[in-house]
Amino acid sequence: MAVTVEQVKEINPLVPIKAKVIKIVQETPDVKTFHITTMDDKKPFDPLPGQLGMLSLPAIGEAMFSVTNKGENHIEMAIKSVGKLTEALHEIEEGQEVGIRGPYGNGFPLDYFKGKDILFIGGGIGLAPVRSLIMECIRNRENYGKLSVVYGARSKADLCFKEDLFENWPKVPNMDVYVTIDREEEGWDGHVGFVPAYVEELAFNPQVTVLCGPPVMIKFTLPALQKMGFADQDIITTLEMRMKCGIGKCGRCNIGSCYVCLDGPVFTMEQLKKLPPEY
Amino acid sequence: MKIIAKERLPEVLQLLAKDYNVLVPAKFEGVTRFTPYSGDVELVLEENVLMPPKDIFFPQTEKMYKFKAKNKSLEIEELPVEKEEQLIFGIRSCDLKSLECLDQVFLTKGYVDHFYKDKRERTALIALSCVRPQEACFCHSMGVDPQNGVGADIQAYDLKEKIGFKAISEKGQEILEKISGLLAEEEVSIPSFGEFNLKADIEGVPEKLQGMFEHPIWADISRKCLNCGACTYVCPTCHCFDIDSEVRGEDGVKIRCWDSCMFGEYTQMAGGHNPRPTKKERVRNRFMHKLRYFPERYQMLLCTGCGRCVIKCPVNMDITAIIKKIKEAE
Repeated sequence: MAVTVEQVKEINPLVPIKAKVIKIVQETPDVKTFHITTMDDKKPFDPLPGQLGMLSLPAIGEAMFSVTNKGENHIEMAIKSVGKLTEALHEIEEGQEVGIRGPYGNGFPLDYFKGKDILFIGGGIGLAPVRSLIMECIRNRENYGKLSVVYGARSKADLCFKEDLFENWPKVPNMDVYVTIDREEEGWDGHVGFVPAYVEELAFNPQVTVLCGPPVMIKFTLPALQKMGFADQDIITTLEMRMKCGIGKCGRCNIGSCYVCLDGPVFTMEQLKKLPPEY
Repeated sequence: MKIIAKERLPEVLQLLAKDYNVLVPAKFEGVTRFTPYSGDVELVLEENVLMPPKDIFFPQTEKMYKFKAKNKSLEIEELPVEKEEQLIFGIRSCDLKSLECLDQVFLTKGYVDHFYKDKRERTALIALSCVRPQEACFCHSMGVDPQNGVGADIQAYDLKEKIGFKAISEKGQEILEKISGLLAEEEVSIPSFGEFNLKADIEGVPEKLQGMFEHPIWADISRKCLNCGACTYVCPTCHCFDIDSEVRGEDGVKIRCWDSCMFGEYTQMAGGHNPRPTKKERVRNRFMHKLRYFPERYQMLLCTGCGRCVIKCPVNMDITAIIKKIKEAE
């Protein structure tokens, strides 16, 4: 049986369990998705969509990543190579044993999404946390209304989760996927342009939106969403900060009196407006 | 009250040392701090120690678990838990209050920090009342009574020539019984406490700070700060930590060690973004945390008025002066 949230709290939350990487998918030149399972082939923990996990190569480092999907017996983390640990993770092969602990954070408010039409907006690696929610909506398709995904990356090569974007998701009933890349390129006959403009151009009318991507994307998408009439509590995003403990003790991921590892990473725009702009 | 002549205190400590690892305020390697008791420690009873007692529960560097990493394989092994019962003699009211703050951090909000909890549970506390404030003390301004600590098992009173003991908890009662053979019953009066040199009027400050995030006061306050982190190390309530590993060949130990919000790397992310890039943001966060964020999250200030940061700051930053500036800011 997978370790439940309650059990995680009883065991020493700062000590990871041993797990293994059973599959590695090269998503883009600098993003790989790691499929992780326990030594006895179980889910290391059962995360809610949007929750986080601490993954480690103990000799090199430990860092917090969003869980981008969960399977029957594994969890997935899509990781961009940006620093010491992530570069080392990109070097490992299938079968590598790793440390893992979690789940951490609040996750997406699933009840709030029930029965609603949802617009998902992602940029670059920002689709990773959003994907966990998209997969949940697909698994329990009848619980949610129309699903629309707008996703953009710098180039075709930089698009994450291509199989989902072009094959799996378009086949899901009442689900539309819109993909864009920043600049024209050979072999691409899809949309070209930045995400904020594309969202505005598509003129959706959903009830709630989830967006995650680089700060510049969020900055320019927010006015478009407000113009489309979204209320602040219906604009939902995830934040990232440097984290060490993951359980609200080590101090560094605070925004005001709130800890992103514990009280986040999922926030509504309504909640963010009450916090100091320090993220 | 049960009392003993001050010069006979070592007899009490000696007796307690049979059952406990007794930690006493003493001068150790040139610094005053809580030190394991032995016959030749240089006891410091006239003033509080420079290093706060937080390291007894939350060591400056602490081993968390061992691991062995070889090629694709990994072993993770938890470390054996210490069983020894500890006793701190001579902890002051300000530092007792700091344990109340640390308890909030390490023991509440859904996750319990096992490393802290273990040490906290096997450590008895004998508080010692203060007779006079030191130069930078302002505990009273922070709601702390220098003669009666919170959360102690025994409150000891400095009666000048003598020391008096009053059991507070059941555990304290048991400890007092162990040493009762050395104590005499005597009517005593607790000496009155002197006048504080430093004061701070904290009334309304947490509330006022809510609207002061963008206030020019932070640029002004942080100008002389060196971001050296000394204030955070001597602070009894500062509790930020880093997690890192010590690796030798295939073997490694995961450690955690004190960190400081004064350091740029503290919030520096792998991709290069830093939400608190300059000392202005870092100093603001430190004081906001102590006076606004912590009260909001845990309903108590994260400053006990011990005055250590005031004494040790190389550029004379003074939290009482900062509180005053906040009070007076428009």
